[in-house]
Amino acid sequence: MFVTWFTDRHFFLLAVAFYGLSTVYSVFLWRKGFRKDDHANYFLLLVAFALHTAAMVQRGFSVAHCPVNNLYEATTFVSWTIVAAYLVIGLMPRLRFLGAFASPVLLAIGVFALMPALDPPHPAGAPPEFSGALVSLHAATILLAYGAFGLGAVAAAMFLMQQHDLKFHKLRAVLSLFPPIQRLEIVAIRLVFAGFILLTVGLAAGRHLPRPADAAYWSDPKVVWSIFLWFVYLVLLVLRRLRMPSSRGLAISLIVAYVFLLLTFWGTNLLSPLHHP
Amino acid sequence: MNVIVIGLSHHSAPVELRERFAFVEAKIPDALKSLRDSGIADEAVILSTCNRVEIYAATALTADAAVIELRGFLVSHDAFNDNLGDQLYSFAEPHSLHHLFKVACGLDSMVLGETEILGQIKTAYDLALQHGHTGARLNKAFQRAFHTAKHVRTHTNIQRGSVSVASVAVELAEKIFNSLGDREVLVIGAGDTSEKTARALLSRGAKSIIVANRSFDRAQALAGELGGRAVSFDDWAGEFEKIDIVISSTAAPHHILDRAKLEPLMKTRRQRPLLLIDIAVPRDIDPEVNFLENVYLYNVDDLQGIANDYLKLRREEMARCEEIIAEKVKPLLAAKSSADCADERGLHFSHLRKSAQSAD
Repeated sequence: MFVTWFTDRHFFLLAVAFYGLSTVYSVFLWRKGFRKDDHANYFLLLVAFALHTAAMVQRGFSVAHCPVNNLYEATTFVSWTIVAAYLVIGLMPRLRFLGAFASPVLLAIGVFALMPALDPPHPAGAPPEFSGALVSLHAATILLAYGAFGLGAVAAAMFLMQQHDLKFHKLRAVLSLFPPIQRLEIVAIRLVFAGFILLTVGLAAGRHLPRPADAAYWSDPKVVWSIFLWFVYLVLLVLRRLRMPSSRGLAISLIVAYVFLLLTFWGTNLLSPLHHP
Repeated sequence: MNVIVIGLSHHSAPVELRERFAFVEAKIPDALKSLRDSGIADEAVILSTCNRVEIYAATALTADAAVIELRGFLVSHDAFNDNLGDQLYSFAEPHSLHHLFKVACGLDSMVLGETEILGQIKTAYDLALQHGHTGARLNKAFQRAFHTAKHVRTHTNIQRGSVSVASVAVELAEKIFNSLGDREVLVIGAGDTSEKTARALLSRGAKSIIVANRSFDRAQALAGELGGRAVSFDDWAGEFEKIDIVISSTAAPHHILDRAKLEPLMKTRRQRPLLLIDIAVPRDIDPEVNFLENVYLYNVDDLQGIANDYLKLRREEMARCEEIIAEKVKPLLAAKSSADCADERGLHFSHLRKSAQSAD
């Protein structure tokens, strides 16, 4: 009886609760100047990831497709990729503190995703909003890209904090267990580069998706938005190669780009006839 | 068997006095043999460093008698004819054991929490052990002291951070650069502190040192010692494209590097981060340069401030360390109590047996 009423959304709710606990613990770590090693936070995010994965697996089985079929599923997939990327990178002790910065982002995305309007019930027998292997590839790679951009923005935020402390001679700059700022910059750029490759693959896959004959592709709001985003990250990567913005300027740009992505993703999706017929 | 300690340290005696009592390592085994042959101690360890000279002895004598004899041994060994007042301290149990543990943990050192002393105590103990001058009591005491020092290092912040200007500079470099292994260091002016800082960076893996000084001979001499190269004082700005860390300590009365001079140089470096350590007084580097992107400027006050903050943290840990030491010493004292009781019981039964035999 427990099994029948405990749905994937309950699993996800528990995962979000653990993101919340991790956020609270992160505040404690911040108050302590990040001097304490971050094993506890890594463990909290690991438990959250397990619950989150259970939610996605259960949803996938119930809809018999890769669970990226509506906005709720797409949003949870984005946050799943952020935490998955963190759990891999966080195996390196000096990068474990990324979790303290990622958990508030994960909590915010999770709370937003739990809004009922994002997850209308699947009518029995009706096709999901998105379907097919190519659609799954398109959706999964793009959402993985967003996850990589997200964790890159988190690394950029850590860079800014540590750089500020070093510039203004704060004791926390030397006392904390943060990695060197040059390493944070490298991690942020590599994550963004990985995200850019995934976004390119996802957009290329999307270009070949079947669509109604009267549907305009190049003027679709979501397509325009995605290409704009692709160009933004391309420009940032090229400028970085040319060492043109300062490290601080680049970090701010990565955060602004990701905030823009988060704030406009759902709106453009709703406006897009291709994605929201 | 009582563990007694007697000695002088930087707390109690000036270096002129401490050096009179210092033991040359090669002569310590003979000194220990002499101490044991005289009957003063059954077991002994001599610790002689630049900041302390101490004798740890396990003795069957009473504490007061042992202190008098050990004092006499020290004075006659070093042919010291003057009066030794408070400069010489002594402790009996349990304070002698507390003292040993505190010294091993670096709590009695000139730089609180320093780790070199543990290695020095281990060397002194090994020397005594190898020559057969230790036994059950001192073996247990010293081994427990080493274990406690490791525990304190792991579970407290007593050894955390750097308390010298040079090592703070190295820590800052490690917080900025991904790795010191491919960093080049420019030393402008060849003073003591800048030399120590350069050495500290080299010891942590910095790639190379370039030295610029008004006296080219002095620059070459220092560069030779550090395995680097010297450049003319007028040409140091030309090295900026390659270098990552600058240590400046000239005697110039004005700024040798300001924002106007540094800004174009940063462009040639393609915005790579630059750490500037200005040890000079008056300062060599205009503080305004800290506002440039990717430039991190620290003067001697900033570095000393960080070192002082670390020292303050270490002092805050003292109480916790002393609690740990008190806990760790207890089993040694308990073992001594039960050994003393066993001795007394042994004496009592021996007395009873003698009485029984004489009755027969």
